[in-house]
Amino acid sequence: MTDIFQDILDVDDLEVTDSLKADDVDEWDSLSHIQLIVAIEKHWKIKFNAREIMTWQNVGQMVDTIVQRIG
Amino acid sequence: MVVNSLAFAAFFAVVCIGMFMPWMMQKVVRQNVWLLLSSYTFYAFADWRMLPLLLGATALTYFVGKQINRAVQTEKWAAASFWTTCGVVSGVALLLIFKYLNFFGESFAALFNALGLRCSWTTLHIVVPVGVSFFTFKLISYVIDLHRQRIEEADSFLQFSAYVAFFPTLMSGPIDRPGRFLPQLTQIHHLDYPKAVDGCRQILWGIFLKMCVADNLALLTDSAWTSPDSFPASRLVVAALLFPLQLYADFGGYSHMAIGVAKILNFDVAINFKAPFLARNIAEFWQRWHISLTSWLTDYVFMPLNIGMRGWGQVGLALAVIINMVLIGFWHGADWSFGVFGLYFGLLYIPLIVRGKFGKKKRINAGAHGLPRAEDFVHMLGTYCLVTIGFMLFKADDLSSFAHYWQALARPSLLSLPSLGLPVFTYVGVAMLMGCEWLCRDREHPLQFVHGPAMRSRAVRWAIYYVLILCIFLFQGETQQFIYFQF
Repeated sequence: MTDIFQDILDVDDLEVTDSLKADDVDEWDSLSHIQLIVAIEKHWKIKFNAREIMTWQNVGQMVDTIVQRIG
Repeated sequence: MVVNSLAFAAFFAVVCIGMFMPWMMQKVVRQNVWLLLSSYTFYAFADWRMLPLLLGATALTYFVGKQINRAVQTEKWAAASFWTTCGVVSGVALLLIFKYLNFFGESFAALFNALGLRCSWTTLHIVVPVGVSFFTFKLISYVIDLHRQRIEEADSFLQFSAYVAFFPTLMSGPIDRPGRFLPQLTQIHHLDYPKAVDGCRQILWGIFLKMCVADNLALLTDSAWTSPDSFPASRLVVAALLFPLQLYADFGGYSHMAIGVAKILNFDVAINFKAPFLARNIAEFWQRWHISLTSWLTDYVFMPLNIGMRGWGQVGLALAVIINMVLIGFWHGADWSFGVFGLYFGLLYIPLIVRGKFGKKKRINAGAHGLPRAEDFVHMLGTYCLVTIGFMLFKADDLSSFAHYWQALARPSLLSLPSLGLPVFTYVGVAMLMGCEWLCRDREHPLQFVHGPAMRSRAVRWAIYYVLILCIFLFQGETQQFIYFQF
């Protein structure tokens, strides 16, 4: 997960924690958010629905959805 | 009641006295009642006939919000989606009926006639409620954010109404989000002296921009657009190039005043501009121009579209951007020129998307002698020229007057030396504006430089204030209505 975030956001020393939010990282904007979603979906071979994506408020919630999906 | 008028100053003084009375500061509900009464009084001064509409739309959205919250709490997602759709549709319907009904009626009639089907549309005399484009966006964001579980439901109808009708931002924004604003209505507001002083400085800067820069530039741009054939083409070029600055000084000036007024009342509202003419490409420009509108559309239009079309790669992204920009265009007004305005800016994103430069944030660093680096400066100038062409569509009454202006530009007088067309001070004001934009690019407003170490001297600070006040009295232009009041 950290690798994906560091790669997409282009921040080498980014520490990815459950509480990390888009507001905390300058490079995490609406566009890189979509790139993150596409990369995560590709990595775990899953597909999120729009409601799930829209309700995430931090990385922890994103991880919860991934865990639910991959069982 | 114009914000930069004595009538508003008197009104605001009464609001402040009431707001910060010891009895009022004992309970938050008293302050909210006072704030709401002040806001409705302010709105009634603009157009009292539309007050029931504002109240009705607020009550309906509050009711819908309650249903959404109940459905979300009980995890009835279908019901939550249904009520959210009702809330969004009612907000959009409000805009469609009051702002776009005649436009769509006339456009469909023209389309049917072009197809050989006889059709006519009787133009309805609809009074557009003041600030409708701004308060409906607040209403819509409330229901969507409740559905997305981004916010808590408003504590009471009073609190929600005070948010929707908050008078400093009711007429022309900035468009505040419920997640940021509603929590502020749960606290008692004391007079915060440093914040109030900062608010006064911001108002002073806003008045300077509006009265000394925008109102003076309006003389040149308005005359050029009213009868382009009466002026040499070179002067029309100057008028076109100055219009983005006029619009910025007008709307940016208003935004500074609104934010400053809110600060005096100890409220934080969204910022609207961040040195837009320092942008080095169109994407950067829209990240810095009318931020509260563009971020609203990014969250509620662009993101859902982009999420839905994420499988289409760059094509999906470009489509999402273009749809978003066309909507930004039409938000400004019911005319095809605004649609083309949005489409034009949307198309300008395509090269950035293809080159992967869209969304890449690069800090603007100074080069030698504290000036912009040559490469950045060239990009800033190029972006300004592209923006100028787009804003000609904004300034034109319709597409035919836009075409007429371009025809008037294509004359031999294009090569003549343009006359200034305005008092020298106006150009000094423009130079001051651009200089301050550069020097204070990381601050909320230029007069925040008084926090810097060089400005610790009280005498220097007050000298700056007096110079600005003197400029306002000596060089103010003929009073013009705020351009964004029509939206």
